[in-house]
Amino acid sequence: MKARTNAEWLIALKSDGQAQAAALSDLRAYLLRAALYALYRSRSTLRDFAPTDIEQLAEDCAQDALSAILGHLDQFRGDSRFTTWVYKFAVNAALVAARRERWGRVSLDRLLDTPDLVERIGSFSDTSSDPQRRAFRGEILAAIRQGIESRLTKRQREALTAIVFEEVPLDELARHWGSNRNALYKLLHDARQKLKAHLSERGFDAKEMLDVFSNDR
Amino acid sequence: MERPALRRLLRAISDTDDEEISCAKCFDLVSEYVDLEVAGMVGEQTLPQLQQHLRQCGVCREEYEILRDLARLEAEGRAPSADDLRSAL
Repeated sequence: MKARTNAEWLIALKSDGQAQAAALSDLRAYLLRAALYALYRSRSTLRDFAPTDIEQLAEDCAQDALSAILGHLDQFRGDSRFTTWVYKFAVNAALVAARRERWGRVSLDRLLDTPDLVERIGSFSDTSSDPQRRAFRGEILAAIRQGIESRLTKRQREALTAIVFEEVPLDELARHWGSNRNALYKLLHDARQKLKAHLSERGFDAKEMLDVFSNDR
Repeated sequence: MERPALRRLLRAISDTDDEEISCAKCFDLVSEYVDLEVAGMVGEQTLPQLQQHLRQCGVCREEYEILRDLARLEAEGRAPSADDLRSAL
């Protein structure tokens, strides 16, 4: 693969003939390397895949990334190396694919049918030997439960349960709900803001709460 | 209920800002941030909204970490070839 400056990449990719063909060939090679690297790093989620299947998945992701890059070439501002800029498209495509393979086998409907956020927080078992700390934690948990019940929508409760408690990837939950990553992030942001405001109005400092649940004694 | 899950919830609430960037904006900025980081030029004030998003969003964070590691390997001349990676799979 030929090393190029940012300007050389752009000129070659926007030209025609041999210069463009050579740049496209090199770009494909860079993208394939990035996709293979991302899938290699995610290999624990692809245990059921034969190496040849992962290679094929990497080829597909590199092709998807190439199409996206050629469609966004005018948006490259030059504030990073061109190769770093193109790598992010391949890494994104590869990790979205890997997460889809991992979570496509899980019934998210069944997972979302598990106990609600309020019940889960209510089941927290405090083993601290310090009665004052136990009492303070109990007050915090009661306030969080109240905030969830009074301020969050059903969808926000489900999203927090899935993302924070079950560690379902955001893009997979968005796909399951026919939504998208940005919209789901906004939904979660709104939920966090409501809970933060609810707790703040009751005199709980967010960092103090985190601290009281961080160390057991 | 498991304590790590509760801590994740509290950390997420604690680290909530009024204005947060979207995953799309994070994707837009992450290559610039990665190159600054690889060059050792990142501090707390470098693209703080991106840093906050990366703390909140697990999928963006996962993509950032792999991009950063690959960019670092490349900057050090140690990026694996496609053949190396195929053999390692």
